[in-house]
Amino acid sequence: MPSNHKPGCDEQMELLVDRVKNGDREAFVRIVAAYQQKVFVLAYSLLRDREDALDLVQEVFMRVYEKIGSYRSGENFQAWLMRIARNLSIDFLRRRKKSDSLSDINLDRAELAAEISDPISYQTNVLIHKALMSIPEKQRLVFILHHFEGLKYEEIARRLGIAGGTVKSLHFKAVQKLKKSLEPALGGGK
Amino acid sequence: MKACRKYKKEWVAYLSRELPEKKAEEISRHLQECPLCRREMEKTAQVLGLAGNFGEELERVMDTVDWESLAETIASRAVEKNKKEVQAPAFPAGWQWRWQPLLAGMFLGLILGGLLTLGLINQRKPHLAARQEPSVSVPEDLLERVEVALARKSTIEYLERSEYLLLELLKDGQNRLAEPEKQAVIRQMLTEKKYLNVLLDDWRLMKAKNICDQIELLFLELNQLSPELSAAELEKLRKMVEENQLLLKINLVKKELQQSEV
Repeated sequence: MPSNHKPGCDEQMELLVDRVKNGDREAFVRIVAAYQQKVFVLAYSLLRDREDALDLVQEVFMRVYEKIGSYRSGENFQAWLMRIARNLSIDFLRRRKKSDSLSDINLDRAELAAEISDPISYQTNVLIHKALMSIPEKQRLVFILHHFEGLKYEEIARRLGIAGGTVKSLHFKAVQKLKKSLEPALGGGK
Repeated sequence: MKACRKYKKEWVAYLSRELPEKKAEEISRHLQECPLCRREMEKTAQVLGLAGNFGEELERVMDTVDWESLAETIASRAVEKNKKEVQAPAFPAGWQWRWQPLLAGMFLGLILGGLLTLGLINQRKPHLAARQEPSVSVPEDLLERVEVALARKSTIEYLERSEYLLLELLKDGQNRLAEPEKQAVIRQMLTEKKYLNVLLDDWRLMKAKNICDQIELLFLELNQLSPELSAAELEKLRKMVEENQLLLKINLVKKELQQSEV
């Protein structure tokens, strides 16, 4: 799992961003290294395809490099970057939705191998991914950040720029909806 | 039952260890006493357990990625792409703003002038006009498609120039958009929009018309800018751009227009 954002690294990140603005490639490598796993978690949770997720990570950082001039000093860099990641993931999902129905899971070779080696776990993951894609975007984002990136409510609130209470409520609603759609798989009925 | 309802909303936070100690103890006590809540809580825990499975899959996939070389590759590609764009700019700085509209005007003038001259010549030589008349017949739908294509092209150009102006607004720390030179550009964009309105009057371009109208509103506001404009007012305009996601919408509409077939 990617390491969580530490409060002390904001200033350091600002310095790196300034260096990137002046054309320093090494500084950009450090920024990519610091955030690529966080972006990957978001991308993989939405796409559940390793190669697509890696493509998206690359697309996000290309855009970050292109737009770094518009980043205003003092702004929360991580939130700015993750906003780009979120917007591009939505575009990516739309493009994918056009080419094939979202509910159809693409079975490539790697996935078939996973299904054969551990069918129960594979099916469970297909189910949870499908259920995750059916809930509203903000609830899904909170769920991903909490469960797959291991962030506490307070950190999620900071990253998304919303109140801690809102995070708690979005998380609750997300779990309720997931519970509802997974009910048959969990043994159904009340 | 009332207590159950009260605790129900806290279950997820309780299982995620996000509750203060006192509250968590209170819920633990309630769970010991209430079998109904215990059953529901177990179901919730099952869902979170499934999420854990997916989390494990994610970790396994992440272990297969060479993060160090990925960062290097991405940085190299980004720098390379940027270098190419800087080396070969579409137009030299200042070119677009100053000369493009003038050239477009001259070009349009030449065409109109040519057509008028041709009309006059034909009027003077009716036998010539009569001889040429049957040779050209253009299907109506082709003309319509050409018109729509022209409208798309003009709209894309307008959106591109608007995007640059908006980016300048977002970046601008010293309110440079209030300078006379920039104000002239904004006025020009407003005039251009009036011309565009006629072209955008087609159901296929409704979405583009909508975003162009939003931009026009913003330009009208920007046209009121004065050098003494307060930072708060400028910030308000920036927020307007950001909250309406104007840049994103511009890009989407641009892409759509570029991808549409004539």
